[in-house]
Amino acid sequence: MSNRPILLVEDNELNREMLVRRLKRAGLEIITACDGQEALDLMISEQPSVVLMDMSLPVLDGWTACRMARQDERISQIPIIALTAHAMEEDRRKALQAGCDDYATKPVDFPELLRKIGKLTPS
Amino acid sequence: MPETISSTSPAPALWSELLLRSLAELRELFASSQPQLNPDSTDDFARMFEGGRRLAQMLEDPDSVASRHDLMNALAAIRGYAELLTEDLGAEFADLNEALLRLLKAAQAADSEAGTPSADSSPPQRAITSEPGFILAVDDLQENRELVARYLSRSGHIVVTAASGAEALSTLAETDVDVVLLDLLMPDMDGHEVLRRIKEHPEWRATPVIVISGSQDMEGIIECIEAGADDYLFKPFNPVLLQARIKAGIERKRWHDREEQYREQLERNEKFIRATFGRYLSDEIVTDILERPEGLELGGDLRRVTILMSDIRGFTTLCENLAPAQVVTLINRYLGAMTDIIMAHQGTIDEFIGDAILAVFGAPQRRDDDANRAVDCALAMQAAMDAINVLNRAEGLPEIRTGIALNTGDVIAGNIGSERRSKYGFVGHAMNVTSRIEDKTAGGEILVSDSTLQSLQGTFSTGATREIKMKGINQSIVVHQILGADA
Repeated sequence: MSNRPILLVEDNELNREMLVRRLKRAGLEIITACDGQEALDLMISEQPSVVLMDMSLPVLDGWTACRMARQDERISQIPIIALTAHAMEEDRRKALQAGCDDYATKPVDFPELLRKIGKLTPS
Repeated sequence: MPETISSTSPAPALWSELLLRSLAELRELFASSQPQLNPDSTDDFARMFEGGRRLAQMLEDPDSVASRHDLMNALAAIRGYAELLTEDLGAEFADLNEALLRLLKAAQAADSEAGTPSADSSPPQRAITSEPGFILAVDDLQENRELVARYLSRSGHIVVTAASGAEALSTLAETDVDVVLLDLLMPDMDGHEVLRRIKEHPEWRATPVIVISGSQDMEGIIECIEAGADDYLFKPFNPVLLQARIKAGIERKRWHDREEQYREQLERNEKFIRATFGRYLSDEIVTDILERPEGLELGGDLRRVTILMSDIRGFTTLCENLAPAQVVTLINRYLGAMTDIIMAHQGTIDEFIGDAILAVFGAPQRRDDDANRAVDCALAMQAAMDAINVLNRAEGLPEIRTGIALNTGDVIAGNIGSERRSKYGFVGHAMNVTSRIEDKTAGGEILVSDSTLQSLQGTFSTGATREIKMKGINQSIVVHQILGADA
């Protein structure tokens, strides 16, 4: 995998901590952001290999952050996996339309999430 | 709030309950194994429980679930930490691991069910309705207490909780509890001890106790049942099973209460009857009456009885030479001894008139050997006079001799007198006849009427027969001397 970190954007601290621990345990380097704006800033400065982005975020929500990322050429190529609580097909479409590369429903199936990360970060 | 709980079993349609139950189970297990866990796992548990707390909060107040996002976050945290923990704990903590796997299963069910819009309208499958009861839930873990309280108050029960054995006992002392739900594993005073104290207490003993065991420890449960527990549940318990057992417990308690009320009523009646009759009936007769209340009519009824009258010969003359205190000593010694003998023969003492005794055999309870007992009683009374006189001589009191008359006939027995003062007594011609016979007895003599002699079973040795003319009674009667019982 790439030596660039993975950016996890999640405002819920319980989930953030949980995912950080699990991802670290899987051998990944993690940085975190708590809202959409912070996520965009970190994407620009840290150039993460993949972004795991919760869609319901304060300050700047995930959908908007995604769209803005896609329009910013500095970070438009960074793959984003949307994390949402919505299991509807429409939500999936909405996430992909916003420019997300993949999609995972909460509570995430962790091995599946790791596979998705692996797919988007060619070693 | 619905009157009855609608829960499903065993299918986890109410995924939230299954999940919360699994979490409660884990909290219990965690509490007991925490010292052996490493700080990371302890931390993970704390976070998982925090997720559980948030989930419970949201479920508690359905209006607050403004966003599915929050619900899913809580579920995600629970699931994520549970998965982390199963990776970490493995075989070393088999109990915890199994409980975590159960939780994960519940979380998966929650995941799929909460993910569908119809999650909250899962069809009711089985409803337990029961009379509302007053339930005391004893558990040292707050989450468990809240969980049980939530289940039970939904079906209309009033739930009070206690966080320790001591608190449980003080609640019991203050309120009338229908059912106790008792967690066995508690610090300080554990469930076994609480159970023992409840079952030792005269007033709490009848309160049904349902013990809750965190482990599948059948041995411990058997011990509890032997110690008086009424039922048991293993954690995590099925809410429908809990409801059913609570219902059975409440019914048991209600039955007991009704029985108790009935018993108290009976006791009051018995006390009344003993107080009313105890002074002039032998214990045996009172007990007899109490055991067969239908055999006793207080209204007054005609009965065939054998009447015994005794009198100290020449008592008035004797008294003239004695100090009042001596008279009382003399008469009390005599009446005391006679009373014992009459009671021993199941006679009913109607009254003492000075030194005279009036007793009846055959009322309020008729027996086949009424006449026989009356004659035996008279013989025993005469036989006791020697011993009385030995005591009298020793104290410088005069020797006394008594005459006893027996007659068998019909009398009216009942409560006689006015409302303010009445007693169980007898009236009738046969009473008067007995009195006349008594007048004719000599000291140490027993005279029985013809009717009494004919009522006797077995043989007695009789002495002289004589005819008595009686004042005021327009006929003479034949009387017989009784000398003793034939062996």
